[in-house]
Amino acid sequence: MLQVKHITKYYEQVKAVDDLSFEVQDGEIFGLLGVNGAGKTTTFRMIIGLLEPTKGEVLLDGRPIDYQVTDYIGFLTEERSLLTKLTVKEQILYYGILKGMKEKDILEKLDMWLERFGITEYKTRKIKELSKGNQQKIQFISAVIHEPKLLILDEPFTGLDPLNVELFMNVIREFKEKGSSIIFSSHRMEHVEMFCEKLVILVKGKSVLKGELKQIKKEYRKKNIIVDGDIAVQDIKKIDGVLSVENQNGIWVIKIDDEKRVDDVFQIVKKGKHITKFEVEDPSLNEIFLSKVGESYENEV
Amino acid sequence: MKTKFKYLTKQSLKKKMQTKWFKWVNIVLVILFIFLANIDKVISLFGGDYEGEVMVYVEDEVGSFDSFTSLFLENQKAMQPDRTYQFLATNENAEVMKEKLEENKEAIWVRLLFDETNYLKAEILSYNDVGTVTKGILTTSINSLKNMLAVTQSGLSEEEILALTMPPTITSMTTNPEVENEENKNFIATVASFIVMLPCFFLILLLVQMVGAEINDEKTTRSMEIIISNVSPQAHFLSKICASTLFVLLQGVLLLCYGGIALVSRLLFSGGFTIHEEVISGAKNILEMIQTTGILKTLGQGLPFFILLFVSSFILYAIVAGVLASMTTSIEDFQQLQTPMMLVIMVGYYLALMATEFEGAIFIKAMAYVPMISFLLAPVLFLLGQMTMFELFISSVISILFTWVVFHYGLRIYKVGILNYSSSKLWRKLFHSLKKN
Repeated sequence: MLQVKHITKYYEQVKAVDDLSFEVQDGEIFGLLGVNGAGKTTTFRMIIGLLEPTKGEVLLDGRPIDYQVTDYIGFLTEERSLLTKLTVKEQILYYGILKGMKEKDILEKLDMWLERFGITEYKTRKIKELSKGNQQKIQFISAVIHEPKLLILDEPFTGLDPLNVELFMNVIREFKEKGSSIIFSSHRMEHVEMFCEKLVILVKGKSVLKGELKQIKKEYRKKNIIVDGDIAVQDIKKIDGVLSVENQNGIWVIKIDDEKRVDDVFQIVKKGKHITKFEVEDPSLNEIFLSKVGESYENEV
Repeated sequence: MKTKFKYLTKQSLKKKMQTKWFKWVNIVLVILFIFLANIDKVISLFGGDYEGEVMVYVEDEVGSFDSFTSLFLENQKAMQPDRTYQFLATNENAEVMKEKLEENKEAIWVRLLFDETNYLKAEILSYNDVGTVTKGILTTSINSLKNMLAVTQSGLSEEEILALTMPPTITSMTTNPEVENEENKNFIATVASFIVMLPCFFLILLLVQMVGAEINDEKTTRSMEIIISNVSPQAHFLSKICASTLFVLLQGVLLLCYGGIALVSRLLFSGGFTIHEEVISGAKNILEMIQTTGILKTLGQGLPFFILLFVSSFILYAIVAGVLASMTTSIEDFQQLQTPMMLVIMVGYYLALMATEFEGAIFIKAMAYVPMISFLLAPVLFLLGQMTMFELFISSVISILFTWVVFHYGLRIYKVGILNYSSSKLWRKLFHSLKKN
């Protein structure tokens, strides 16, 4: 289990991370979200021991992060972190040995992973000769070759086609089932929604939203009402608490500021014609994210 | 951590040596060494204008044709041994001679004319320019001839003339027994330092490039973050320094071997025993000189300190290169930053060369204590007798201590630098990092 306890990080006078706390249980996928410059990289760097927090501490299975503990952490960085002049085999051996593995074990596992990702023929090829997607696969293998207890995935699906995204997702789920703690970061909210049970949203280094995804959605007061049919749009817009009414491919999406408004909207909708659908939905994570990040910036202004 | 450090060092060495370029470069180096050692043979092999015989027409008004030709040949033997000249006395008029010079464009017409007040005046005519060396030989020979004529016309006896033209015997002695054979010692020290300094310059250049390029590569590819999360920056930094220093020392040994191969090739390609014997006698002379000057003894006494100075300075340059590389985000930036460092070595190199000329110069002696320069300067000053053993010891201690201090503080910059990808406020960040432990 990973415990991040009240970590704060200053770069000189600039506060990059501000009193951040969260826990990632074994077998759990945790989302760490934020816009660019929100403090995600600094947080990752503190988790893998590259940076020391100015305040607070990071523990993995109760132990502070040191060079013994980092052997149990796998990190897939957002940018390619491969030595492109090396061959695939040399690269994986290099990172594997730095993780404390034996050469024989690394080579056995490498063969298994290359087969799994369908790239066995690239074993002796130089990394710079591979396509972006295949480089991402090698980067992923280098992060998981030692079967880490904590796996940090920063934008893992970059450069992958939908088939390979699916393949990666399955592998990530397998690690979850095996009991690894996984931190997942992505700007693609649909990926986060598919994966993460818990998450934290960072704005300027500070957590603005934290908790279980289901709970967050449930507690989020704004809802969406989906209606299929002919309705009096202008009448609905006049209702207090209706934020917007949009037609998306023939389906009406009515955004309301509170679940209490559902009944008022329903009264108007039922007067309409050809109504085949009336459904109250939780907002998407993307909407929550935009709303929370936007609020934080507005508050600051 | 020790295993990881060893692995990183091994990997770094492997990266430098198990490449086709390392093999190719070393093959090229062997070929170049052999080429340089036999460059005169190579030039001769292809031939050229110098091979042709040069005709020298001599119009002799002073009756010294034989004296002039013998003086000329004597000078030519020393100054231009590969060229051959043929001499022919002539009394043809100017028109005919000009035609002859046009026909044989390499030919020279020398007119030795009588002069009442100055004994001799001469004219040199040729179609093309005769060249600086040939002109030098002609001028020297004509001057000598003039002296000879003057002495002959003075009415002195043969013995007197011989005594007059003989160079005086000059015996140089010193009363201090320690400065015996000082001249030879200076010669040996200068030659030795020249032989040592050039490879050092080359090897340090190689070292700086190696360390810089490797760190820069790991940084720019972002693999540094993965590496540093598994080994401490200290172990990583040390592994680069160790691997590069080992590589450079090994390359140095290889260069020595190539020198040996080149020497053997010189002996083999020289063909006859004449040059062979010349080389052997030359080597014998140098060995004798080394023996008589006692330079071997001095070298033996100073050797431990020389090694300390060399090793600490190599490490120092590697540390500085590593720190600079950690600060930069591209190899181009690093190359610009390393230029001043290269000039520092040049300062040491020139000061070492000047040490013989400016004997006892306080500035040069002071510079022999300055790290990064001391490894070139202090050994030369010691060999020249301008630095005592104690002073050499102090210079070595300063170099080692300075290397340690630079490593200690450099590591702080390195830790921050390798994770910094922005050049904004770079110096502020780095100075700030110096304060942190």
